[in-house]
Amino acid sequence: MIKLSNVEKSYDDAVVLKNCSMAMERGEFAFITGPSGAGKSTLLKLLYCSEQVDNGHISVDEWILSKLKKRTVPYFRRNIGVVFQDFKLLFNKTVFENVALSLRIHRMDPREIMERVKLILKEVKLLHKSDVFPQYLSGGEQQRVVIARAMVSQPMLLLADEPTGNLDTDNARTIMRLFREINTKGTTVLIATHNEDLYYGSGRRVFFLNNNHIEKEIVG
Amino acid sequence: MITLKYFLGTAFKSIWLEKWINLLTILSISIGLSILCLFLLITFNVESFMKQWTSSFGLVVYLDDHITYEETLHLEAQFKQDKDVLSVSYTSNVEALDEIKASLGANAVIMDDFKENPLPSIFELELASELLDKNEARQKADSIKQLPGVNDVQYGEKWLASLNTISDTMRLVAVFFASAIFISTIFTTYNTIKIFFYRRKEELKTLKLLGATNSFARLPFLIEGLFVGVVGGSVSSALVFAFSSLATTRIVEFMPSLSVVLSPLPVQVYLIIPAVGASMSLLGSLFAVGKIRY
Ligand SMILES: Nc1ncnc2c1ncn2[C@@H]1O[C@H](COP(=O)(O)OP(=O)(O)OP(=O)(O)O)[C@@H](O)[C@H]1O
Ligand SMILES: [Mg+2]
Repeated sequence: MIKLSNVEKSYDDAVVLKNCSMAMERGEFAFITGPSGAGKSTLLKLLYCSEQVDNGHISVDEWILSKLKKRTVPYFRRNIGVVFQDFKLLFNKTVFENVALSLRIHRMDPREIMERVKLILKEVKLLHKSDVFPQYLSGGEQQRVVIARAMVSQPMLLLADEPTGNLDTDNARTIMRLFREINTKGTTVLIATHNEDLYYGSGRRVFFLNNNHIEKEIVG
Repeated sequence: MITLKYFLGTAFKSIWLEKWINLLTILSISIGLSILCLFLLITFNVESFMKQWTSSFGLVVYLDDHITYEETLHLEAQFKQDKDVLSVSYTSNVEALDEIKASLGANAVIMDDFKENPLPSIFELELASELLDKNEARQKADSIKQLPGVNDVQYGEKWLASLNTISDTMRLVAVFFASAIFISTIFTTYNTIKIFFYRRKEELKTLKLLGATNSFARLPFLIEGLFVGVVGGSVSSALVFAFSSLATTRIVEFMPSLSVVLSPLPVQVYLIIPAVGASMSLLGSLFAVGKIRY
């Protein structure tokens, strides 16, 4: 599903990734961890084409991202759900509209959008805030909206960047359960996190990103 | 169809949210188009006034005092054969004198002081309006002047020349004016939409990260620009119509004789104005959204 080999990425002159290689199977559930500033977000950005590699090969499913044409990027992205570290919610749209947006981009029927969005909002315990604008939500509530938006289209790959950063243990557990559920339905899940509790005892693969590459790989 | 509702919703929400900027844009578009239309209204009226005037464009041929009856008949026959001449009317010097005497009434005796009839006989020719061009009119006059028995030919030479100049100038100014207003309309919408675009740059980036195509992200802006143009055009249509009806009734009140001359703009114009506004501002929005990378 995911394949990186000898990926290089720098911002201006600052090298973030070098000789970075990793691979994930379809339907896998894995974590990526490492110190702050190691390049976890950068690696995820490469995977959803928000950044371009300088060198090396990177592919997701059949899509070779290092050779993807600009014009095809939108169609590739529709297969991926992303929980952004900085949320990227639209503050002029309600919670409902924010979540519905990714389905509208898929040009889905409005009635189906209504059903699906209600269902996912119920799962992240935000149905009662459907018509609220994001600025009136707490950090944890905003995070759950982002998670709902990433999952609602049932993507083939879910990338989550620090998805429990603003959540208490209870909410974090709920979210992890949702991730596992979507994973059993076939979505490949990759979570970037500092939080050892998320992967500790999970039995999943954990990639350690350090010194510009995947330094080691353990089972959590 | 499904997504159209979303696009319209997004566009109109933004129109409402940015109502003051939009209002100002609509206002400046409608003012621009109104000024243009008023100018066209004036040009149109001047031209129709001139057409009315020129339909009776005539030429007066003064005959020699000692012209014979045969020569007069010959001239008349020649004029009637000329396809440029629409009608010929002859007034003999005797008839002319009688007319003057009749108009003088009791004072007609003063005319008796003349031993000879001081008036020439004349032909009045009505010319086809194709000859309105001042050069052709002069050529015609000159050729008639060469004919035997003709003493002089008169037509509104100076008047015709200035008439031509006025109409040419007005057309030129109209074209210049129209281009200037079109460009300013395009530029006004361009600026407005560009401001919106920059204000919502983060939103657009997010849309793209969620897999939206450029056209998906841009369509609401184009709808917004189109709307602003249509409304601006419609407002100016209404203004021009109101002004034109008011002006016509008022002017006719003061100068009833002008009522035949004053003509309102054709009805189609009031549909064309919003269409012009719409296309200009759509063009502006296209330039605005096309230029920005995100
Ligand atoms: N757009 C950018 N321009 C320049 N430098 C950047 C940019 N984005 C990230 N960096 C730098 O690249 C390095 C890796 O950043 P990245 O966000 O990938 O780290 P991270 O592992 O996600 O950290 P954290 O755990 O704190 O989220 C950092 O040193 C950061 O300063
Ligand atoms: Mg990060």
